[in-house]
Amino acid sequence: MESVLMLSRIQFGATAAFHILFPMMSIGLALYLFIMEVMWLRTGNVSYYHQLRFWLKIFVLTFALGVASGFPMAFQFGMNWAAFSAFAGSFFGNILGFETTIAFTLETASLGILLFGWKYVSRTVHLIANFLVFFAASLSGFWIIAANSWMQTPMGVHAENGKVVIDNYFQAIFNPATVVTYTHTLFAAIISTLFLIAGIAAWALLKKEKTVEKTTFFLNSFKYAIAIMLIAAPLQVIVGDLIGVMVSKYQPEKFAAMELHYNTNKAGEGAPWSIVAIPNAENTGTAFEISVPNALSLITTKSLTGEVKGLNDYAPENKPSRMESILTYYSARIMILIGFLMVAVSLWALWYWRRGKLSVESIDMHPAFLRFWVLSIPLGLLAMEMGWMAREIGRQPWMIYGMLRTSNSLSSGLVDYILVTVIGAIVAIYVALLVLFIYFVRRIVEKGPDFNQTI
Amino acid sequence: MTETILPILPIVWFVIIGLELALYVLLDGSNLGIGLLSLLPQKEENRSMMLHVMGPIWNANETWLLVAAGSLFGAFPLVYSIGLNALFVPAVVIAVGLIFRAASFAFYDVSEYGAFWTRAFGVGSLLVAVGHGLLFGGLLSGITIADGHFAGGPFDFITPFSLLFTIGLLSAYVVLGYSALITKLDYALQVETFPRILGAAAVTFFALLGATLVLPRMDYIFMERWTQAPTSYILYLIAGAIAAVSIVLAYNAITKKNPEQMHFFSMLIFVLGFAGMVVGIFPYIVPPAVSIFDVASPDATLKFMLYGIGPILPIVLAYNWYLHKVFGSKFNREDAGY
Repeated sequence: MESVLMLSRIQFGATAAFHILFPMMSIGLALYLFIMEVMWLRTGNVSYYHQLRFWLKIFVLTFALGVASGFPMAFQFGMNWAAFSAFAGSFFGNILGFETTIAFTLETASLGILLFGWKYVSRTVHLIANFLVFFAASLSGFWIIAANSWMQTPMGVHAENGKVVIDNYFQAIFNPATVVTYTHTLFAAIISTLFLIAGIAAWALLKKEKTVEKTTFFLNSFKYAIAIMLIAAPLQVIVGDLIGVMVSKYQPEKFAAMELHYNTNKAGEGAPWSIVAIPNAENTGTAFEISVPNALSLITTKSLTGEVKGLNDYAPENKPSRMESILTYYSARIMILIGFLMVAVSLWALWYWRRGKLSVESIDMHPAFLRFWVLSIPLGLLAMEMGWMAREIGRQPWMIYGMLRTSNSLSSGLVDYILVTVIGAIVAIYVALLVLFIYFVRRIVEKGPDFNQTI
Repeated sequence: MTETILPILPIVWFVIIGLELALYVLLDGSNLGIGLLSLLPQKEENRSMMLHVMGPIWNANETWLLVAAGSLFGAFPLVYSIGLNALFVPAVVIAVGLIFRAASFAFYDVSEYGAFWTRAFGVGSLLVAVGHGLLFGGLLSGITIADGHFAGGPFDFITPFSLLFTIGLLSAYVVLGYSALITKLDYALQVETFPRILGAAAVTFFALLGATLVLPRMDYIFMERWTQAPTSYILYLIAGAIAAVSIVLAYNAITKKNPEQMHFFSMLIFVLGFAGMVVGIFPYIVPPAVSIFDVASPDATLKFMLYGIGPILPIVLAYNWYLHKVFGSKFNREDAGY
């Protein structure tokens, strides 16, 4: 029982961690493509058209891999988590049904037009299809986030005879976690993708042999990405703060684990915010920590001495274990650290841009800058993975917070050797797909845009 | 004597999911059949032509599986959970097959090893088709349930029925695939095409006949549907219709007449077979014991889903029809590369 539970968690974690990379890139790229097509049709400037055609090739890969890796995600709820699905299906399954029927069908059908419709439909229809791809991808994300948020802060339902009965759909869908998480995730998708675009452009710019046309093209990609980022990044910082406040209010155990905050601060004293911390072996306090006094109270309650409940206030069976707390704490810390790093790298790029260094003539003089951007390609996606780890591991021991324990969510009759085989196969296939994805993106970039493409 | 009123909402959802699934089997069945065909010996350029002809539509077709699965999860959560719990292994096979297929489509255009990806596409299609056969065959063979949980073993789905059903379904997909190709392009393999269609049709016939014959040996719970009125009349009528359509199809294949009608006729056989399956088990959805009324979500969910999904489905159908119309006939790859 214990082993199949742990194996099922590993299987789900591995599938989800891989799958989410691709829908996130698809959402971001779809937005970039839509902006490029709008700019092309408004200005008639063919360079936007080339941007559209080129990045569409990479979008095709992210979309296909997102679909491919999504099937095991959807099936797993029944395969491994039958008790959860039986308990919560009347709401959770309903929302996933909305995702596939309302959003995903629209996305696939519009994508057919976007990819192959150049000579089959009018420009207006093509632009609409392009918009619908972005809209449907984002809507798809909304339903998924709504379903997951409901597992974090379940509202508008009650349990009856071992099943969820919905009292208020609006409350259940727009539970306290939904809107902030969705906004945070959408911005994360956009920013991660912009880092991907800018980083790929930097990689192409580092090549020795390139035409003026090609250099201009990738400089444009780089600048457009930075320009969109300057709008999205500051907003993301604000939304990130809202998430922290939401978690501290509705999932205080998770929040305490995310901060490795053990003892509730006494009245009149502030709770410290630790930069690094290691729990003691009994999981009753930290064995080591470096912290800023009063900072946790300030971040959470916007007051220097506001009360923040510690992990010791909660019974062991209702809070994350020691290892889960460590994982929650460090994944959240790494996410925040990467967030600041991304802001710094973007400001660096802005400074270079303002100083006129991002031009065809002078870009070759800044290889270190470009190399730094190549290394930054995975930053956004890595931060996003860390954020999800903190969110999902921090929710433990609950599958649906306060309603259903993870240990009571499992299918019956699971056999460990089958699960080990499945995990092995999934990981092997996913690693192969990721390697192939990187390989083919590289090829597409090396080949570069086709400037002779007819309009 | 109290009169039992059948709740209408579970029936409505049963019909909707049935239609979604039927549409999936028809649309993706053709694609899977083409994938299976690509594994047969032939010129490499025919394989790449097969991939191209499906380019714009395969994804939208595959989507119907997710639509049906999503609807099933919401409307009948216990079917989703017990079914996939019991049919874990076939579900993995389908998922792996779908990954292979999607990856082949994505990488084919950018790779210099085209032949590798057409093979991966064929293998992926084979896995999906085998998974379908084992999943539906396993479900129809009956699932052991105790206290609302799956209570059988992980390989219960392997029965004489499910194996014969899988062979029948595979060859039926081949017929569907060939007839779709003939309609879509001047399929260059006319010489071997028609013998292969006839061969596949014969295998379908004998495998499914065998599957039907092993049912009584398995103490099949639904034997009375075949032996008692009124369902027996409906089932014999459907069987008769399938036989009649098959004869027309075989005649066309032998005389090589009316190739454009073949896709329609082979889809008709699928629809009839699907209808027969529904008549054979309704209202049971996880044979032998679970009916749709036992496992439906509360009425509030079924209503809400109907408000949410009901108005959308006609729109989805409309733009899928539009997609097929735009790319449907004699799709020219040269005009449409991305």
